[in-house]
Amino acid sequence: MFVHYIDLAWRSLRQTPMVTFLMILAIAIGIGVTMTTLSVYHMMSMDPIPHKSDRLFAVQLQTMDDGETWRTDDDIPYQLTYPDAINLQALPGEFARAAMIRAGFSVHLNTPRSKPFIENARVTGRDFFSMFDLTFIHGGAWTEAQSRDAAPVVVIDEEMAQQLFGKTDVVGESLFLGERRQEIVGVTQKWRPTIKFYDLNNGSFGKAERLFVPFSHVKAYDVDTWGNTNGWKFEETRDFNDKMNSEMLWIQFWVQLDTPQQRQAFGDMLMAYMQQQQNQGRFNRDTLAYSLQDVNAWMNYNDVISEDNKILVGLSFMFLAVCVANILGLLLAKFMRRAADVGVRRALGASKRQVFYQHLVEVGLLGLLGGTLGVLFAQLGLLGVRQTYNYYESLANMDWVMLLSAPAIAISACIVAGLYPAWLVCRTTPATHLKVQ
Amino acid sequence: MFELKPTINALMRSKLGAVLLILQLAITLAIVSNAVSIIQDRMTYLNKETGYPEDNIFKFNSLNFDKQLDLLQQVELDEQSLRGITGVIDAVAISSVPLSGSGSSGGLQLKPEPQESKRSTMGYVTGDEHILNTLGLSVSEGRDFNEADVVVIDESDARPSVVIVSRALSDELFGAGKGLGETIYWGADPLSIIGIVETMANQWPKSSFGEKAAIIPMIRVGNFQKYLVRTAPGARAQVMRQIEELMLSSHRDRVVSDITGLDQKKARYDAKDVLMMRMLMTLIVVLVVVTALGIFGLSTFNISKRTKQIGTRRALGARKSAIVRYFVVENALICTVGLMLGSAAAVLLGQKLMQWYSVPALGYSFIVVTASLLLVMSLLSVLMPALRAANISPSIATRSV
Repeated sequence: MFVHYIDLAWRSLRQTPMVTFLMILAIAIGIGVTMTTLSVYHMMSMDPIPHKSDRLFAVQLQTMDDGETWRTDDDIPYQLTYPDAINLQALPGEFARAAMIRAGFSVHLNTPRSKPFIENARVTGRDFFSMFDLTFIHGGAWTEAQSRDAAPVVVIDEEMAQQLFGKTDVVGESLFLGERRQEIVGVTQKWRPTIKFYDLNNGSFGKAERLFVPFSHVKAYDVDTWGNTNGWKFEETRDFNDKMNSEMLWIQFWVQLDTPQQRQAFGDMLMAYMQQQQNQGRFNRDTLAYSLQDVNAWMNYNDVISEDNKILVGLSFMFLAVCVANILGLLLAKFMRRAADVGVRRALGASKRQVFYQHLVEVGLLGLLGGTLGVLFAQLGLLGVRQTYNYYESLANMDWVMLLSAPAIAISACIVAGLYPAWLVCRTTPATHLKVQ
Repeated sequence: MFELKPTINALMRSKLGAVLLILQLAITLAIVSNAVSIIQDRMTYLNKETGYPEDNIFKFNSLNFDKQLDLLQQVELDEQSLRGITGVIDAVAISSVPLSGSGSSGGLQLKPEPQESKRSTMGYVTGDEHILNTLGLSVSEGRDFNEADVVVIDESDARPSVVIVSRALSDELFGAGKGLGETIYWGADPLSIIGIVETMANQWPKSSFGEKAAIIPMIRVGNFQKYLVRTAPGARAQVMRQIEELMLSSHRDRVVSDITGLDQKKARYDAKDVLMMRMLMTLIVVLVVVTALGIFGLSTFNISKRTKQIGTRRALGARKSAIVRYFVVENALICTVGLMLGSAAAVLLGQKLMQWYSVPALGYSFIVVTASLLLVMSLLSVLMPALRAANISPSIATRSV
């Protein structure tokens, strides 16, 4: 029966090519616009590390004096001071942790043929790789001892290994960061999360780094951040050493806490740490505060999805409603004009229900056609987005969830639009139309 | 004379079509007027004067990695060679690039820290006495920096003592038109305002403090240095091409990167707003087209449904113009209801958007203008089917019973 209905629907659509074309166009435009904005929204709101996003936490400490405010909702700054980062790193306990900054170096091989280039780098702890699921294809992270001694070691990714050496197995080779020779101890698989969720402080959609060096290099080689440094009071800083000892906020800190108990214990430790610091004259506040936010909460807190995106998604769904109203009108026109046909079919024994289903199949088919064309429109839209704003390059794309959602939304929209006209047409009494013939 | 009553009676008999049209028009008005308002807000920002001849300025970075190098001397040398290029008007080593969205901001206040006093947030850049000329700015009051003003921050205790600020900054701290010769504090350090520039955007032109900028005559060198170059009109592209080679020829152990025009920097900073504008414009265009199609489709349907009625009217002596008028009046009635409903919806949507997001208040003029245009569009879309209806032959009335 279903196949027969599809055949009927197809004939019906072909009978009135103009109206059919208008309806398909309306739904396609509606879907095109909606899917364009929704796809960007979907990519932005997607959990970047689903299986452990609720176990990774960004650590924030309320370091500011009483009365000072920050631009976050809870007045707690995004980043930590260097002393706090070092002290948190030294806390006892078996949980993975990583202090980090974004930095950059001029990279070269110190041969006449290798032209130096600038490369962003993540300066971080060795736990970073396991915490954020980087996979090593050769070698591994630097050791605890190398990290402690600020050994001149680096980890790079396969793409950079190819670029520098023309092969990926380069463990034991050296590269130069500026004038400093560093030994490659590990090569990771290419890792490019669509959202740079572990460092939302320096642009949410930047590319992930391809070069990693131990956090101890900050002190050993005066490696300064290439990201934001925030201050809340005036401090005289003459040199990098002053900055490291200051209350300036420029370090990010993540921990992995696998159980609620671990989380509780870590929270208690943070509190105890702040109290101990308060006794030494820091954290001049009545109530001490820290914050542990998991990956999704952190993205929300940092407004990864911009206001503009939310407005556009809302407006485009309203637009889709206009398209549905439009199709409803057109369907009404089309179905009522066919009332005579239906009268004959009813007179020949078709039940109301069959007539109703037949018409719903027809609108469903319409939705499928419109949805498919709509996906093409959405691709054009996304192309436009990527060209206007290249930071959205990896975001303005449809993944398979969106690709399947498009026809689903289109068909549902069409069925919503078709319910009333189909109901109206199946109520046709055979007699009235037979008279005219 | 518009046969309002029969038109309304007929409408009440087949409400659904009218209701659909009313809804479409209402939503269209709500969306379009709010979208136009947002677009207009972004346009105002994008067209705002920044004060710089953006087309004639470009920036680049130099990252030195020779630890033995005397950085200060190298910066001097670089500036010399940049200023020597034909087509270059001036060049300077600058702490950060205006309009780029990155750099340093801070507060200037009326009393030294830690005293509490009026404070204004601003973006600042530092450089030597060539900085104003390179930025293409000139003071409208006071004087430019001279060589003696410039302080090199190194081991010594020297601190800059003068500053040039934007009009917006001095106005906020000292009142309109005042500020020249006054002293403001940068932390605990006093700075005397020696010059005021009328228009000068800072590194974040979109921010709430985007017009508050300060220039401090100070050099602090590091191995990562930004340079700004202003060229004669038309000479920029050709100068930009020479930069990398020129810089590397005086010192090899460095990377020259991001050789970018100031206009391009600004465009990158504004890309999000341009994207929003383009998407809203696309939305408006397709929305209007879809709504017009809807009106066209429904009128066509209405007319085909009433073919016989029209034929009868014609047979009874109605003029063609009366038929056209009937459909136009009917459409105008529907349209009026839709647009009234839409105005309310637009106001409501505008309020919600303002409440949830940082969207400017919706001016009622946007609603009025959008509604008028929608009315015109609606009348145009009904005209063609109405004219076709007028051509229905009276004989149709007699064809069948």
